[in-house]
Amino acid sequence: MGLFSGTLLSNNERVLYSFPIILLVLPSLNSLIGDISTVLVSRLTSHLYIGTLSPKIQVSDRLKQDFYGLFITILLGLAALISLGYILGSVTGIQIVNPLFIISIFIITILILFGLMFIFLFMGSILIFRKGKDPNNFLIPIVTSLADFLTPLLIIIFIQIFM
Amino acid sequence: MEARDTKGKIIKETFPSEMVSIVGDILAGIVLSLLIISFKSFLLLILIIPALLSLRGNLSGPFIARTSRDFIIGEFNKKTWFENVLATLVLSLLTALAIGVFSILINFLLIKLYIFHIGLLIVIPVISIALTLSISIPCSTILNFLAFKRGLDPNNVVNPVMTAIDDFFTVICFYLTIIMLGVP
Repeated sequence: MGLFSGTLLSNNERVLYSFPIILLVLPSLNSLIGDISTVLVSRLTSHLYIGTLSPKIQVSDRLKQDFYGLFITILLGLAALISLGYILGSVTGIQIVNPLFIISIFIITILILFGLMFIFLFMGSILIFRKGKDPNNFLIPIVTSLADFLTPLLIIIFIQIFM
Repeated sequence: MEARDTKGKIIKETFPSEMVSIVGDILAGIVLSLLIISFKSFLLLILIIPALLSLRGNLSGPFIARTSRDFIIGEFNKKTWFENVLATLVLSLLTALAIGVFSILINFLLIKLYIFHIGLLIVIPVISIALTLSISIPCSTILNFLAFKRGLDPNNVVNPVMTAIDDFFTVICFYLTIIMLGVP
């Protein structure tokens, strides 16, 4: 997955050179969505094992609490990341092109990824748990690699669409 | 009340460690966008970097977890630590070799950039990850020890801090490697 991500970046040099700030914040964006997804899987697995979440694909209060808690955390993380990225980018002389456009792209990408990951991980955790396996062992490696690939992919796709 | 406490608890516990991770990764991003982008072979080098960052995370994470576990259950000693280090090193070097081989294949099929000797695509990840682990392994061992001695749960404290440190040093060691090898 890491090599696919690298291939994707390598084949879209025009985007990277047009918006150098992407390279600066990309490791943090990957890390943000990967970390939050890992926390989600870990929490869902714990809930399933201790019985506070029933192994059914249905909305519950516990699930809503996790969703809102992690959603607010990811919004705060995104705000911090973008602020820090742009401040350090300005200080170090990295060219900042069309900041509002790129910030919107980052926000849309992370929010869409969070939504998709939440649904995928919730359903995946339930299904794996029902088969008697530990969702942590299967989902955490998958989700961290997926995040590394999907984040730059969606950023590049949205730039191509909206530019 | 319980619903609010849980949401607030999630944010209070997750956000600080996430901030540590963000800072480390932003610093890694600065190295990427200031130093590495200026290389003529940047399009080849960017092929390897995400794979190295993933490799680092997938191998040093379990190393940290195993060391934490050994401290907590009272089984940390030279033998267990050495076995842990050896396993991590061997796995990392083998995976770095695989990254190099697949990079050569992808360059041959897709990118078709032949700016330097193609064998360097194997040497770069191997040396880079060896340098990174030479910093990461002692750092995480010491952090685990200090966290445990202060009565903290190493599992909660060490991983986010080491993610930030490791991501930064992965990119720095990568940069040092390509400088040492004279990559254009």
